[in-house]
Amino acid sequence: MGKEDLISSNPLRVLGLDNKAEEGRQSLGLVMARAGLGKTAILVQIALDSMLRGNRVLHVAIGETIDKTRDRYDDILAKMVEDLNEEAESDLSRRRMIMTFKENVFSRAMLEERLQDLIEQDVFKPDCLIIDGYDFDGNGRQAMEDLKQLMAELGISVIWFSAVSHREDPRVSADGVPAPCHTIDDLFEVVLLINPQDNVMKLDILRCAYCEVEPGTALLLDPSTMLIQKS
Amino acid sequence: MAKDLSKVRNIGISAHIDSGKTTLTERILFYTDRIHAIHEVRGKDGVGAKMDSMELEKERGITIQSAATYASWKDVDINIIDTPGHVDFTIEVERALRVLDGAILVLCSVGGVQSQSITVSRQMARYRVPRIAFVNKCDRTGANPARVTEQLRDKLELNAHLMQLPIGLEGDFEGLVDLITMKAIYFDGENGEILREEAIPADMAAEAEEKREALLEEISMFSEELMESLLEGGDIDPQLIHDAVRRGTLALEFTPVFVGSAYKNKGIQPLLDAVSSYLPCPTDVVNHALDLEDDEKEFPVSNDPDDKLIMLAFKLEDGRYGQLTYVRTYQGMLKKGDTVYNSRTGKKVKIGRLVRMHADEMEEIDSCGPGDIVALFGVDCASGDTFTAEGISASMSSMHIPEPVISLAVIPVDNKAQNNMSKALNRFTKEDPTFRTYVDHETGETIISGMGELHLDVYIERMKREYSAAVEVGAPQVAYRETITMQAAFDYIHKKQTGGSGQYGRVAGYLEPLEEGEYEFVDEIVGGVIPREFIPSCDKGFQKSMAKGSLCGAAITGVRAVINDGNSHSVDSSDVAFQLAAQGAFKEAYMKAKPVIMEPIMKVAVEGPTEFQGAVMGSLNQRRGMIIGTMEEGNYTVVEAEVPLSEMFGYSTTLRSLTQGKAEFTMEFATFKQVPKSVSEELVKKFQEEKRND
Repeated sequence: MGKEDLISSNPLRVLGLDNKAEEGRQSLGLVMARAGLGKTAILVQIALDSMLRGNRVLHVAIGETIDKTRDRYDDILAKMVEDLNEEAESDLSRRRMIMTFKENVFSRAMLEERLQDLIEQDVFKPDCLIIDGYDFDGNGRQAMEDLKQLMAELGISVIWFSAVSHREDPRVSADGVPAPCHTIDDLFEVVLLINPQDNVMKLDILRCAYCEVEPGTALLLDPSTMLIQKS
Repeated sequence: MAKDLSKVRNIGISAHIDSGKTTLTERILFYTDRIHAIHEVRGKDGVGAKMDSMELEKERGITIQSAATYASWKDVDINIIDTPGHVDFTIEVERALRVLDGAILVLCSVGGVQSQSITVSRQMARYRVPRIAFVNKCDRTGANPARVTEQLRDKLELNAHLMQLPIGLEGDFEGLVDLITMKAIYFDGENGEILREEAIPADMAAEAEEKREALLEEISMFSEELMESLLEGGDIDPQLIHDAVRRGTLALEFTPVFVGSAYKNKGIQPLLDAVSSYLPCPTDVVNHALDLEDDEKEFPVSNDPDDKLIMLAFKLEDGRYGQLTYVRTYQGMLKKGDTVYNSRTGKKVKIGRLVRMHADEMEEIDSCGPGDIVALFGVDCASGDTFTAEGISASMSSMHIPEPVISLAVIPVDNKAQNNMSKALNRFTKEDPTFRTYVDHETGETIISGMGELHLDVYIERMKREYSAAVEVGAPQVAYRETITMQAAFDYIHKKQTGGSGQYGRVAGYLEPLEEGEYEFVDEIVGGVIPREFIPSCDKGFQKSMAKGSLCGAAITGVRAVINDGNSHSVDSSDVAFQLAAQGAFKEAYMKAKPVIMEPIMKVAVEGPTEFQGAVMGSLNQRRGMIIGTMEEGNYTVVEAEVPLSEMFGYSTTLRSLTQGKAEFTMEFATFKQVPKSVSEELVKKFQEEKRND
């Protein structure tokens, strides 16, 4: 499949976020699931889609190593595209940067400082931020609003987060967004939930401000590759 | 009588530069009675540590060549290879890992896991070498073994656990608490040779209990008996714990961590106990050889002294008495006076002298058997050669050897220097497969190439010191490559008929990119349009053309040359005529095959205080570097990037001034990548100018 086909046929198009980004609107996205169900795989596909569309992605991996994160991208890209030529691969790699932090040291101030460094030194100016491993239990609405403000200041069009939900915590928002994000779900334009059911893995679209599909629609995940498919 | 292989350990000691490996080895030799006095690496007594036997190493305080030595601890024989810490010498580390069964990973308790440790760890994983870790320099300011253990888990992804707790740290480092025996150990006597066991200091008892519990819980995964014993409660047999640690270590699923200070003579004897208890013996590891009579099919070596001999020459050294060849025996016995066969050359070799090495001193022995690491005298071979007994045709699996990435010209100042230089280069290329040399036929200069500036620097120094070869050195040059990107046909006639016997040859076919490997020749000639005797001439002609590309004069790689048609003349066709025809054909097709220039890309890791992260990234970015990522660790950050080697000359000076000398970097070869258009144009222009000036 060619690059253009890959972009146009990507099921993520239904979320309608890219048009909004082109209009200059900024959005927050969230992928939720219980531990070990594949949130990072979804985030990486979102990042790769953004990179294929020509954007620069900064992947912030909290509590993970650079090599492991990089391997994730290589694995998923290899599954998405069978034979990408060296030039295209190198071009894609240049659109991605990985920043890793230990769990207990990540903060908005630190992220801002690093991002300023990158931009000032003309090293990397991201269009999209992926924050994998953000601590929603320890950070509340104010912290999220701070990040939204940072996004505006730095001209970042979208930030995607991952969050862990817990089976034993029954709290949900009106839209069905589970704890610990149930009280701040209004801050997100899109919320996706990985929902394993019998033999299928679904990616439920819980919130979708600019959706091009009916609310309640789910995307499907290939359980062996975790690639997003059209339902 | 056959040796009990369960009492043999072949171990490597490898780690980051300056983490104290050489001092540690020195202490091991002292406690195992191999030496009777301790000398420091950069000591004031001017003797230098035993393992740094080369003069240069003594001067620089770094270990360049791994010296093999033998020691005996309690009832266990330990063969130790001290390995260098700089990335430029990793072929030494790789070779050592190839022949060793286990390793001690030495880490500085202040510096912790640094980029070189990550490289070494990757190499160990490649060769599946079980390891134990030793956190050295616990007496230094800023020592923090717990943090280093955490780094082993985070950065190297090892299941690392402290087996001991330090009693005091930095200036107050007194001894250690053994979490298995639950005793405090102190190292008394002038050189820490007397071990004194005491009760655990009261203020550490609770911590020790807690850490022991965590340790036992972790290692119980490797032993059902231990798990049952833990569930039952009560006293636990220490042997159960040792067995579980050993099982986890051998399976590469657990890394026991020991602490100490080699310099202060603390923690070495327990480390030696751990080598005996937890690292594998030769029979714990399955090594494979290739059957040369059965399409190089892999088969496991037997470790049986009664089987036919298989041994690998893994290191050569030029000593006062000629070539010294370090070998590891995998099966069979070798006796003084035996005749063995070199599998690569097929030549018979008579073994005159057999010695066990102890740094630069040696002990004569009569025989060696499976698992032994010994040295042979006067055997002519190259590093990596396999020797076998008569009647067995086998080779130990080939070693991973990286391609050189940097080269420079060496010019002898006079005739004497020329001779000496030739001797030196002949020796070095045999010793080190990553060091190459050739003569540039156009300039007549001798070019040496290797894995980095320091790598070549060391050989130039050795040329001067050991061989008295006074040489002038050119500026380092990046080893660019040229390759083709598409298929292109050729149909070329070489014809010369100007008096006397003429020359005639026609070759037709095509060139195409070769995905793996440097060059392939395919003969698709049918009906004898090119006579069989001239087919090798065509091959030779193509290979000659590959030596220098027409874009920037770099060697050409990744080409498949296919011939499928041609013509010959009964009188005028000859070997030379077809060689020239092939060269003409190559030239004809090469530019049509859209050649490009490739450059070596290095994986660079810069570590330094976080405040300099922006400046470091900026400096890499300016060098056409692609920042892969950053890793934040408190006040310390690692920036990883891929940078063209050509942009890295002089980077250490830039980095020093950017970071007030507080950051350091390592680099290793990553891959070859096509150069950007602007750089390509510049290289082509430079080459054209050079050609015009010649």
